[in-house]
This record gives sequence, structure tokens and C-alpha cells, in this order.
Amino acid sequence: MLVTITRPGLVRLGLCKLPPFISRVSLTEASNQKKKKKKMTVTNSGIQYAVQIITKHFGNLVAKVCETLLKSGPLNLGALIRSTALTPQQVKNSLLILVQHNCVQPFTQESKAGLKVQYMAVYDNILHRLRFAKFLAVVAQELDDDCKQLLAGLLEHGRLTQQQLMDRANQKSKSNSSQVQNAAQDNFIRLVTARFVERCPAPEPLLEEAPEQEGPKKPRSKSAKMAQVSETIEQRVLAAARPMEAIRFLITTNPETDDPSQKSENNSSSMSVGEKRKFDDLDIGEHGSNDKEVILWRANFEQFIRCLRHKACVENVRARHDDGAAVVLRAVLKATRMQETKVKTDYSVPLKMGAIYNEVIDSAAGRNLTKVSVKASLHLLCGAPPVRGGYEDLKKIIELLQNDEVESIVLKRYGQDACRIFRLLTSQSKPAGQFFETDKISVDALVDKKETPKILYKLWKDDYVHMEKLSLTTAKQSQVMVWKVHKSIVWEHVLDEMYHAAYNLVKRYDHEREENKEVTNTPKEKRVGELEKKANRFLGVRKIMALSLVKLDDALMLFHDF
Amino acid sequence: MSRSQGPSALKRKRLDSQSGSLTEHESKLYDAIRSKTDMGMSLQDLRRETGLQNNLFTKAIKTLQAKQLIKEVKNFENKTRKHYMATEFEPSKEITGGAWYDNGQFDTEFIKVVKRELVKVIYDQENATLAEISQAIRMKNFLTVNLSDQELKQILDALVLDNEVLKVVSTGMGGYKAGKECYKCCKRREPNLASMASIPCGVCPRINQCTPDGIISPTTCEYFKKWLEF
Repeated sequence: MLVTITRPGLVRLGLCKLPPFISRVSLTEASNQKKKKKKMTVTNSGIQYAVQIITKHFGNLVAKVCETLLKSGPLNLGALIRSTALTPQQVKNSLLILVQHNCVQPFTQESKAGLKVQYMAVYDNILHRLRFAKFLAVVAQELDDDCKQLLAGLLEHGRLTQQQLMDRANQKSKSNSSQVQNAAQDNFIRLVTARFVERCPAPEPLLEEAPEQEGPKKPRSKSAKMAQVSETIEQRVLAAARPMEAIRFLITTNPETDDPSQKSENNSSSMSVGEKRKFDDLDIGEHGSNDKEVILWRANFEQFIRCLRHKACVENVRARHDDGAAVVLRAVLKATRMQETKVKTDYSVPLKMGAIYNEVIDSAAGRNLTKVSVKASLHLLCGAPPVRGGYEDLKKIIELLQNDEVESIVLKRYGQDACRIFRLLTSQSKPAGQFFETDKISVDALVDKKETPKILYKLWKDDYVHMEKLSLTTAKQSQVMVWKVHKSIVWEHVLDEMYHAAYNLVKRYDHEREENKEVTNTPKEKRVGELEKKANRFLGVRKIMALSLVKLDDALMLFHDF
Repeated sequence: MSRSQGPSALKRKRLDSQSGSLTEHESKLYDAIRSKTDMGMSLQDLRRETGLQNNLFTKAIKTLQAKQLIKEVKNFENKTRKHYMATEFEPSKEITGGAWYDNGQFDTEFIKVVKRELVKVIYDQENATLAEISQAIRMKNFLTVNLSDQELKQILDALVLDNEVLKVVSTGMGGYKAGKECYKCCKRREPNLASMASIPCGVCPRINQCTPDGIISPTTCEYFKKWLEF
């Protein structure tokens, strides 16, 4: 008896389209299929990993403050001191460091006691700390090594004024000539123009009430409800703090201070905050762009993630199609990068055929491509004859990459048959998946009927598939098991496992380093015999673990940032 | 291929001369089995349907088998249970499991061979429809069984799930009618050493029980130890 459930969400008595002999449906909506209205929350493994990064970079005290903010959400200074059981000075210093390095964003919120400053951990920026080498590589490739050196200063110090950047460049070149100064200035302008560097956000923006809380709720259509994903507090704070696009990448002639005529264009919320600041707030005057008119600059992580996302899409196209298609896609994405309004854009910005061709032949790799071959590549990418350029489905490419990653885990963990079953269950176009009955899975995936339930059970036990039971009332009572893959839930589970794996890699590396202290403390020339063997082994360990972490971080970006 | 199967069409023979010499019980049993044609009946169902006593039932079964009026067949879903069928019928796919089961066992080797040949055919033709693939397989004549188009499609769909073959829909350019389903080989790629699958934690069956300072932890992990052995 084959039963395919097409609308699992509505499989309840009286509402489903099941045959009449299924008398009582014993299905219940699984508890983990709650409708997620907010952005994916950070898991425990994710928090653990972030705290590990902060501990390594800034020490235990700062990590304690960060961990409290990550677990409890935004807190004011008083609550933070109480929760961490650290001294007020320790907490303040920790916050200063975290704000300086863009790992914490302060904001102001109206409360019964008036305006209160709260501190919010910026989870994404904490993870970006392990990607600085990748960001530097992007700048080296897109611009040059000099720009890379300049950016390195910003990444090292978190945020600097333009003058501080110039001074650092002079120090590095060990000369103070005007030539060096001018070159540094030019490189800075190039970095800002390419949007790799941005003005720091407002120090304590005012967070307004969430819009959906205002007024009575109006009945909305199902599609409108699904389209409207309410923002998390993190998203709202970051949006409130972000400078307006007009000034975010604006370099003034006087680098230290704001032009008074532009002062009024500044985030006006920061002006009112400055007037109403409470006594227990951090004095972050030196560390933020505030009424002391100091412009601070920092790396624009959003742009780097965008570049890395584009790179991943281009490489995937190269692997699936050919170099020509990859060159064309790269040209399109480069030309339209500045017009993308968000990182996780579904489609590329449309571009005319002429503009695409010009961009392609401008690049070194596309110099020899003809218009015909460019058109053919576009046809391959867009899936339709490109008349006025096309839309490259970037979301689809990212999905393919994600599918590859998860399928390779299933293949390695559970075997070829399990991978085939998993691909069958995920091949449905609906993100919530479609139910398949056990026998149908066995037939469609061409797996032994006896083995199919065993494989499905293993996948179900590790949360890769969802299972429900149907009771059939035919000549003889029987139960039928139906299975599906709910992609978003499984993807979240895989991301959590990745955080866990990344944490383990770092932990294990620390353990190996501790075990081989004797070797690393011995000068190279004295490492003989057994010591030399150990040293060589440790070198190998270091290499493989560093490489694995870099690759795993690519996968983390694929599931979290892309 | 060692395996051969004749066509699954029903073959009826008149065996009146042999069935005429049966006792009442044997006749009852034989009629019950024969009525199920190519589906046959299990021992338990036969006992229930005929209502014969144990000793009479057993004797009747043995007699019918000796006279070659009935035969025992393997039900692929339950190999331990005895299943009987009239000799003149060939067991149906519901009993044998279809083309992919041999004597009740899932024939993995046979499937591998068919898959390999299909991939070769598609690779030679670059793009091919089901009909073209079916024709090419028949011409190769390497199988002792005839696989229907539906059975070939089953293998092709499995190859798609294995990422060996791609199913595409023709756009109308390149010789096929628009909308026609075709198959082509996937581009040979470097083996994808995906990030998570290439580290011990990615394939660890105990990752849910792993904690920083627990019995299973990254510092004490045996899988890590093996992975880092050079």
C-alpha cells in the first residue's frame, strides 16, 4: 500500500486528502517544525565556538562578558556586572575592547526608568575574526598588496581614524615622506571606494519600538505572513546603528572631524543620546563617532562576505559547467556588486548584454571570449535566451553547494544507499519536503526493501529525516511509516554540528600544542632522533588542522552567511 | 550474466490427467493454490483457507509436490515463510520482488552491471532519451533478461540520485523535441572533499555525546588520534 502525503501540514482528520480507509490519522505536527518567524537563532555550539574565539584573542575576562551577552541577549551595564560577577571596572574594560573590535554594539532603548544603554553581542562579527586572512586575500586580489597592508591595520585594531591609519602606514614603511603619505591616502580612498572600509556605526543609536507592535493586528493573507519575517533585535540594532548610505563611505577633506554642514545629516539619534546619557554608561567617546566629531573607520565585513559568496558561486559554476561560464558570471557579479542591497540576494542585478560583454573582455581571463560564447554562457547560467541580460539565480547555486555539503556528510556517515535515499527525499521542490512511504523509498531509490527501514532509522535517530506514523484501517489494521527531510531544520542541525566540529578542531589543536611543548621549545638544530620525529609530526598536525579549519569555516559561511 | 528469466506471462497447461487422481483433501488444497494463479499462497494462509487438519494438510502438500502439481517459491519479503504456487504459473513481481531480486535476494551485482552499461551508453551518445537508451541496451545483448522501459527508467533515476547522470529537459535545440526528457553524464569532477566530511567530527556517530570535558571529548577522541597519525 503506497501512500504519499502531499500536504503534511494539513494531515489531520477531516482536512487531508488521504484515501477514506485511513480512519484515524495519528499524525501530529512534529514539535521541531515550529514556524520560524525570526532569523535562525545561534545554537549552543555556536555560542561555545564564539566564546572560544574571544578567549583566544582577548582572554578569559573579556570572554566571560561576551558569553553572558550571547546567552542572555542585550543587557545594561548593571545587569552585566551582576551576571558576570566581575568588578565594574573589569566589565567596562571588557566592553571597551569588544566595542573597539566591533564585537559588541551598544544601543539605547526606552524603558520605564528612561533611556537606558544596553550592550548587544554581534555574533557574526565575532566569527569574522577568524576570516581576516581571507578578507586580506580578497583585497590583495581585487586591489593590491599596499591596500592589503592598510586593511591589516584596521583588522588588527578594530577601528581607527584616517590619521591613525596614515601614521601606521608611515611606521611600517619607516619613512615619513610625502610620497608615502600620498600613496597611503590613495590606497585608503581605493579601499573606501571599493567599500571594503566603512565609517563606524553610531555609538548608541536609539532603538525604536518594533513596528508590528503598533496598532491592532490586521488579518493578513498566508503569503503576506510568510513574506514578512520579523527582524530580530540584533538586526534592528545594527540597522539603527548603521550610518546612512550617503555618508557610510564618505571621506571628508578634514579627516579628523566631520564637516559641520554634514553634521546635521549624521544619525540624529546619536545627538539626542549624547544629551541624555546616564551616569552608568560607558564613556566610549574615543571609540565611537559621536559629538566629539571623530570619524572612525573599520573593515566592512558585509562587503567581504559578499565577495566570498560571489567567489563560491563562480567556482561552483566553473566545476559544473566550464571556465567560460565562470568568467562571465564573475564579470556580471563584479559589475553589479555595488548595486546589491543585501548579501543574501536571490538573483544577480540585471545587466544589459553590452555591459556584460564589456566587463568580460576587460578581465584578463575573458579577453579572448567572443560575443557568441558570452551569449552561450549566459544562456547556460540564466536558463533562457538572454535578450537584455539575465538574472543569475545565485540562491540556486548556494542551495546546490549546501546540498553537496550535506550529501557528502550523509554519504560518508551512512553510505551510498543512505545518500541516494537522502537525495530522493530532498529532491522535492518544496522547502518543507514531501512525505514518502517506506516501500516507495525502497523502489525509487533502488535499495533493498529489508535495508531501507534500517537506513531510515539511522538517519532519523541523528535528526536527518523526520518520521511520522499513519494508521491504516483496511482488512487488517496496520501502521505505515512516512518520511521526509525538512530542509531548514536539517540545515540548522548541520550548522550546529559544524560549530561543534570547529570548536573541537581548535580544542584538539590546543591539546596537541600542549603535548608537544617540549618539541616547540627546543631549538631546531637540537631536535634530533625521537624529538625530530615528534617535531615533524607536530608540523603535519598543525598543517592539517589549520587547513581543515579554513575549509570548515568556508562551510560555516555557506550555511550561515551566504 | 548467469541469471535468466523467461517472460512473466501466464502459462497454463492442462494437467487434468494428474489432477484427476487426487483425493478430496488434495483436490481442495490444489484448487485453493491454483486459484491464486501467479501470486500463490503462504502455508499459513493455505491452512486457514482449507481448514484441513495438520496431518492431512501436510500429507496433501507432500503429495501435490511429488506429483509436480505445485512448487515452492521464495517470497522476497519473507524468505523464511513457505510459499506455494501451481507449477504452470511463473511467480509475479510481488512475490519475486521484480527484476532486481534473484531468488528472494536483492541482486546488487546485477544492478551494478546494468548501471555501468547504462552510463557507458549515455556517455557514448552524450545525450539520450529513454527510448534510445533502451534500444542501445537491447542491441548490446549482454543481458539474459529483458528489462522493460520502466525498469530501465528505475535504474536511470537511481543513477540521477547517485549523481552519475543528469536528467534534463530538451529546449528544442539540438535535435530533440522541446520538453523531451533526456539523460546526460554528469561532468567528471574532482572528488569533492567536502569540509565537514573530511574531518573526524563530520562523520562521528558520537558527536551528540561529545563535550569539552566529558568522557567523549576532542582531547581524548580516538578518531582524532587515528586521523592525526602520520
